[in-house]
Amino acid sequence: MPINKVAVIGSGVMGGGIAAHVANTGIPVLLLDIVPAGAKNRNVVAEQAIERLLKTDPAPLMHRDNARLITPGNLDDDLAKLAECDWIVEVVLEKLEVKHATYEKIEKHRKEGSIVSSNTSTIPLKDLAAGMPERFQRDFLITHFFNPPRYMRLLEIVSGAKTRADAVTTIEEFCDLRLGKGVIHAKDTPGFIANRIGGMWIQSALQAAFDLKLTVEEADAIMGRPFGMPRTGVFGLMDLVGIDLGPQVAASMQRTLKPGDAYLRIYKDRPLIAKMIADGYTGRKGKGGFYRMTKTEKGRVKEAIDLQTGAYRPSADPALGSTHERKPQALLQHEDRGGQYARRVLGLTLAYAASLVPEIADDIVAVDEAMRWGYTWKFGPFELIDQIGVDNVVALLKAANIEVPPLLQKAAGKSFYRTTDGQLEYLAIDGTYAPVERRPGVLLLADIKRRSKPLARNGSASLWDVGDGVVCLEFHSKMNAMDPDIMAMLSKGLDTVKKSNGAFKALVVYNEAENFSVGANVGLALFAANVALWPFIEEGETAGQNAYKAAKYAPFPVVSAPSGMALGGGCEMLLHSAAVQAHAESYLGLVETGVGLVPGWGGCKEMVTRLVANPKRPGGPIPPLMQAFEQIALAKVSRSAAEARDMLVLRPSDAITMNRDRLLADAKAKALDLAENYQPAKPIVVNLPGPTGAAALKLGVIDLVHQGKATAYDAVVAEKLAEVLSGGDTDMTLETSEDQLLALERRAFQALIREPKTLARIEHTLETGRPLRN
Amino acid sequence: MKNVVIAGYARSPFHFAKKGALARVRPDELAAQVVAALVERSRIDPKDIEDVIMGCAIPEGEQGLNIGRIVGFLAHLPLNVAGATVNRFCGSSMQAIHMAAGAIQLDAGEAFICAGVESMTRVPMTGFNPSPHPGLAKEYPQAYISMGQTAENVARKYQVTREQQQELAVKSHKKAAAAQVAGKLKDEIVAIKAKDGTIDQDGCIRPDTTQETLSGLQPAFDAEGTVTAGTASPLTDGAAAVLVTTEDYAKRNNLPILARLKSIAVAGCAPEIMGIGPVPAAQKALKRAGLAIKDIDVVEINEAFASQAIACMRELGIDEGKANLDGGAIALGHPLGATGARITGKAASLLKREGKRYALATQCIGGGQGIATILESA
Repeated sequence: MPINKVAVIGSGVMGGGIAAHVANTGIPVLLLDIVPAGAKNRNVVAEQAIERLLKTDPAPLMHRDNARLITPGNLDDDLAKLAECDWIVEVVLEKLEVKHATYEKIEKHRKEGSIVSSNTSTIPLKDLAAGMPERFQRDFLITHFFNPPRYMRLLEIVSGAKTRADAVTTIEEFCDLRLGKGVIHAKDTPGFIANRIGGMWIQSALQAAFDLKLTVEEADAIMGRPFGMPRTGVFGLMDLVGIDLGPQVAASMQRTLKPGDAYLRIYKDRPLIAKMIADGYTGRKGKGGFYRMTKTEKGRVKEAIDLQTGAYRPSADPALGSTHERKPQALLQHEDRGGQYARRVLGLTLAYAASLVPEIADDIVAVDEAMRWGYTWKFGPFELIDQIGVDNVVALLKAANIEVPPLLQKAAGKSFYRTTDGQLEYLAIDGTYAPVERRPGVLLLADIKRRSKPLARNGSASLWDVGDGVVCLEFHSKMNAMDPDIMAMLSKGLDTVKKSNGAFKALVVYNEAENFSVGANVGLALFAANVALWPFIEEGETAGQNAYKAAKYAPFPVVSAPSGMALGGGCEMLLHSAAVQAHAESYLGLVETGVGLVPGWGGCKEMVTRLVANPKRPGGPIPPLMQAFEQIALAKVSRSAAEARDMLVLRPSDAITMNRDRLLADAKAKALDLAENYQPAKPIVVNLPGPTGAAALKLGVIDLVHQGKATAYDAVVAEKLAEVLSGGDTDMTLETSEDQLLALERRAFQALIREPKTLARIEHTLETGRPLRN
Repeated sequence: MKNVVIAGYARSPFHFAKKGALARVRPDELAAQVVAALVERSRIDPKDIEDVIMGCAIPEGEQGLNIGRIVGFLAHLPLNVAGATVNRFCGSSMQAIHMAAGAIQLDAGEAFICAGVESMTRVPMTGFNPSPHPGLAKEYPQAYISMGQTAENVARKYQVTREQQQELAVKSHKKAAAAQVAGKLKDEIVAIKAKDGTIDQDGCIRPDTTQETLSGLQPAFDAEGTVTAGTASPLTDGAAAVLVTTEDYAKRNNLPILARLKSIAVAGCAPEIMGIGPVPAAQKALKRAGLAIKDIDVVEINEAFASQAIACMRELGIDEGKANLDGGAIALGHPLGATGARITGKAASLLKREGKRYALATQCIGGGQGIATILESA
């Protein structure tokens, strides 16, 4: 049965977040919660949850309008509506009796064949299902989301002995394809996969910091970035998720774990933690946590708690030698307390992970994925062991008197992963290697790269044959900044397809970095400007314009598939593509004004022509220019692909993929679809108001400067932008061509790149990653 | 010279643009209900009306297509009644009154509806397609200066402090609230029928406004400035109308005469201090009436901004106790095109209510102008 309507029972942080994310797929959600005693408005709890969703940052909703898909209701009056729902997600209090009472209500009203799942993180499925009717047990499973549901990729599915297989498949497919989750099958064991190992990681890091007398800064510097774990480290992470969650997790672990479990052996109550929670120091949501910001005479100062005394003191850079060590191996060998800390925490955590396969998951791949997706580790525990070296880890465990689990012993002298004939393999529990299987329909460039050689490659980009006649242009410069090498490879890619005699039909622009592209390599422009290499800068701009123009008018489709940020020159690549297949988490925008420039590779041209030609826009010559001007002058970046549609950075014909792992396959399918009888875009001309439009756009800027919302130099940049967008010296009775707009872009860009304040902005942004407001 | 009188005054409730109760009412519909009510209340025979002169600051969108004529249709006036739209920005509907008076002197009609409307919800203050003259914008940018900047300029030039501005705002709200409670606004207000009910009360008045609440606000137009959202008139939706006739016609037909027009004037000033426009305009009007400011008993001076209202009162020597007896635009609101008709109609009604002899209604106008009307009891 397809899932066309979902109910979420319980509208707390997780329930609301799950409801929002279901709404992000365009599917209606019924959000039910209790009627508070004496409430006049019986839906008040769920209604307030929806209001909260609209205010939360980062936004649980990909578009504000998605809130309209969530219907609030209550558990007294609206249970009958459950009969319309195909999937009912229970997110009520983590108390067995409360959950059972809820299930009884659900069971009375839900329709035959609907699926019920619990978002429990602490109660075993066998306890939840116990005593419930057969029908319920067949349709019941656990779907464990991570907070916040929109952003955390992991979804653990636990099914019971009686759960019907097609219910599991339905939910798995829905969560994978529609919600975009990384679905992992976990077993019905305490904490499932991620929280079981994550719990050990956090607990061992906490205990060891007390025991070894490390400061929280030292602990976080070690058990964070060097191992590809969140930069916050463990103490920073606890501040983020809530310190009060710790004892709750510990209590449930103590209740459910088998005696003798390593977690229970290392666990100790720390009076400081209990005192912090009792006093309201529960982290960022409370008065403060292990860190806090305090107002002093010198402004806001970051403080950290002294684990030994419990007193706050100004936060200090970690002093231990080991904390400056970035390489995992070197850090693990360091002699100081920091090295000791790393050995103990990592030793306990990795050994624990290795001891739990196959108890908690069938294979190590599931464990690694769960930790990457659920705890944003860059590497899962087994990938980390491979990096350190299996034998090194075994030696480390022995030296620290930690028991070496059998799976680790089996891996001795080998690694957990290897590549054979281009195929990634993992060490199965029987000690043999098995291929890492991707889900049907998943296509990863990483896999293609493992088994093939690029069609072409330079320092910043490569071309790959991704099958079925599609060439993939991959960026791999630093932060995927656009540079002459990328432009050259784009041209080469276009040539490769064009001259392939039909062997290639389309070009897909795609990569698997965190960000599609952060924009043009402005460092290069800065360098050239500093030595007055103006012809180099001018050629670079013209070459970019020409390459993008060639992409737009190629006789075959160019499809761009961004994920993460596609800014400035990266965004201009999308604007010149026949179609865009965007990952839902795409953050798109033209941000050039931040460094004192205007988009110079056709970004102004594309936004103006799109907005002017938009049949849905308001009448008159000025409104489309206003929109383009506001977006570009304010360097607006969409907070999702859905928001980019409002900006017309994505057109109605562009598409969105929810699951990151399916982006390349979707882009490829889109490209092949377009390739059938492909007709390239035709150049368009627009009537622009010229100086009148520029004057209109400039009026608003003056006020912003007075209001202190823009600097005088912002106004200089904005005025140049206004002149480009309004068509230069044209008049509304005349037609302006795309080439004329490109020429205007060049004129404005070349004027601004010669301005010292623009160069100061570029320099500052390169150094600090932040814009300079000069 | 003929005697020209104000023989009726009515207005809609005034409400905040966008969030207020009139946001979903079209401006032509709003104005038509006010005009129809004015005709009905004054009991004028509508076929005697020469023209509907409709003031509007941004006459486009739903306020376009000659809204003066459209309102005639919507108010079911006889087809022989003509309709025109007039634009002098904030002075539009006072200008409508002046034009009617001029026409009467030329024997070009005996009775006129002089009205004004602005839906600042539905037609933005800049219009939908602001298209300034690029050469002028460059050479003489003050021509297009934003109103907030002019308020700051006036505050600086005439040394009006933030506290003084706030004091005026607090008093404006107190006076308006007291008038509302005492039912003194009831007679002038026409209940507006909208899709979701009837709107019969003003919506902008905030009786609990204090120096303290106002001093918490950030400057709205200049980071270093003194003018805040609390000392500026709000963006407002509303309509107002007065009936202007010859004194003979009014008497012949037993119309309720509120006041007689004594003199009128407009005057230009520097656009960057447009708020001071009432000073030269009122001075001209006083001179034409042969009066001095001390002779004026009742003043309606538009509070576009507290800074300019204070500066004008100081420069003209207006006794604060005579001004804006039932509150001004900071409390009531300022639907641009409607304000001129409101303050002129209000000044006329106040002459009658207070039993006084002379009234001055005056306002500033974007682009650097002032407009003034002197009334005397009839």
